[in-house]
Amino acid sequence: MFHNRMEGLALALPAAVFAAIVFLVPVGILLSEGFRAEGSWTLASYAGFFESELNRAVFWRTLKLGAIVTAVSAVIGYATAYSIVSLPPTARGRMIGLVVMPLMISPVARTYAWIVILGRTGFVNETIVWLGLSDTPIRFLFTETAVFIGLLQLFLPLMILSLISALENMPRDAVPAARVLGANWLQVFVKVILPLTKEGLVIGGTLVFTGSLTAYITPAILGGSKVLMLETLLYQRVTVANDFASASIIAMILMVMSFSANLLLKRLATARNKR
Amino acid sequence: MLKKLLASGVALAALSGAAQAADKTLVISVYGFAQDAFKEIVYDPFEAKCGCELVVETGNSVERLAKLEARKDDPEIDMAVMSTHDALSAARKGITQSIDVSRLSNYDKLYEIAKDPVGDNMGVGYTFYATSIAYRADEVTIESWADLFQDKLKGRVAFPNVSTNQGPPALYMVGKAIGDDAADLKAAIGEVAKNKVDIVTFYERSSQVAQLMQQEEILAAPIGRFAWGAYSKMGFDMAWATPKEGQTGGMNVMILTKGAKNEDLAYQFMDFWLSTEIQTKLAEALVDSPANAEVKVSDDIAENLTYGAETVESLKLLDPAVILDNRESWLSEWNAQIGQ
Repeated sequence: MFHNRMEGLALALPAAVFAAIVFLVPVGILLSEGFRAEGSWTLASYAGFFESELNRAVFWRTLKLGAIVTAVSAVIGYATAYSIVSLPPTARGRMIGLVVMPLMISPVARTYAWIVILGRTGFVNETIVWLGLSDTPIRFLFTETAVFIGLLQLFLPLMILSLISALENMPRDAVPAARVLGANWLQVFVKVILPLTKEGLVIGGTLVFTGSLTAYITPAILGGSKVLMLETLLYQRVTVANDFASASIIAMILMVMSFSANLLLKRLATARNKR
Repeated sequence: MLKKLLASGVALAALSGAAQAADKTLVISVYGFAQDAFKEIVYDPFEAKCGCELVVETGNSVERLAKLEARKDDPEIDMAVMSTHDALSAARKGITQSIDVSRLSNYDKLYEIAKDPVGDNMGVGYTFYATSIAYRADEVTIESWADLFQDKLKGRVAFPNVSTNQGPPALYMVGKAIGDDAADLKAAIGEVAKNKVDIVTFYERSSQVAQLMQQEEILAAPIGRFAWGAYSKMGFDMAWATPKEGQTGGMNVMILTKGAKNEDLAYQFMDFWLSTEIQTKLAEALVDSPANAEVKVSDDIAENLTYGAETVESLKLLDPAVILDNRESWLSEWNAQIGQ
């Protein structure tokens, strides 16, 4: 490709310098705040952070919601992506367009729409009351359910798109061959589709999980301070308490969670391969 | 060559112009709220009057206070406006200096409570607001702060988060209603915690409450009077409570930075802002309730403001020192009882 490695490095240099100046240096400075206590380097502040019951509760809630959103989006994503890939080219293009469309709308607008839909007088509650499932409207807003729905709607397209490209790269005759050999749909999925599309699942899963961890607007609007997530807690620490040390600890925890999720997904994918 | 000479001449002229302007530049730090109205009513007329340039920095309290502190030894801001407790915090950090009130010709026109709310003349009040309960009069009756927790409001009430400017005063009044208004607010936070499942949300922005009220998600919430305009236009039978324990509220003050480079201009600007003419215009535009007692407005305007000697006298404001000394412990108490 290049005459020598130097050429490749030279081409990568502008982007590397840009990333170093505008990303690595400020992030490094911010994250180092969390390790410094009275001038010395320490992990004590991290231990201190987890001593607080509130912080622990927020950490587990963030992890739990991130994991559930990722798992549910994978299930819905596979079904949707598989049906889209099975369509003729023109219809497939249209359906992909429909999947992409929400990504063109601001997350703020999409989240506010949920306030209207999930509200007391919203579509969901009116349907529940009309069907006689409940006499009075059920409160969805400012609950974990609302945050889950908001996050799922926000990041599901990313999962679907990742899986579409993975399924398109899968040999066309793999599924029919497995079916001819007597595999049922569950076996086809576990033994054929999953191993052949694992890269797509790893990319989609990482995008959805990281997105769910770091989303601010959706948990802030649909969960508020009753359903604090790490990101909303971070914002609260900075804007209310001017506490940048805690903020940097939370930022570091979020980064570690994202990297760990990516590693875990990759590990799962390669483990499946070895069998 | 000629082009170069011309260009350098233009550059020199521009530089000397900038230097002249810099001799008469006032740098102020304000909330981002209603800046179009402030520009029209306060900034532009003041610039025209003083022949100086006004540089306006905006942001929320935390950002602006952090910036003032960072530039403490070489302040670029000459004057700022903030809440009384932020002004006290700045004073304690040595960021501000005592205001020589004899240099403010409009000082004597101010309501008594606005004259020295921070202590040691470390701030002069320019506006205040009442905080009480906005509610749907067709659905509920509210005569006490304790009525926020009545059966009819279970699952239909919002309460300000302790981190907002409305939070501590509202908690203070809940404390009064249950007969324990100790500064630690423990009893009040306990009362809110007891009812937390019935509180729709602990709001962080007043705009959020207006939206929840509009959608009939809630029927009542403690709010600052500055936000009342949005409620009175909703088409519901909205009412402003006058609870038996009284109303609370907050006040914003002007401060002068220690070592301000344009002190004279800062005094001129503060005096201009406190004048009856400017305070009246700001009141009529529903931007700020007047701290100047000579301001007269129509009943329609007064309806949307915290206006009049009687109202001002009746406000039960939290002492800024109490807020400042207890803020962290309130937040810990709140997080322990409500945040999980």
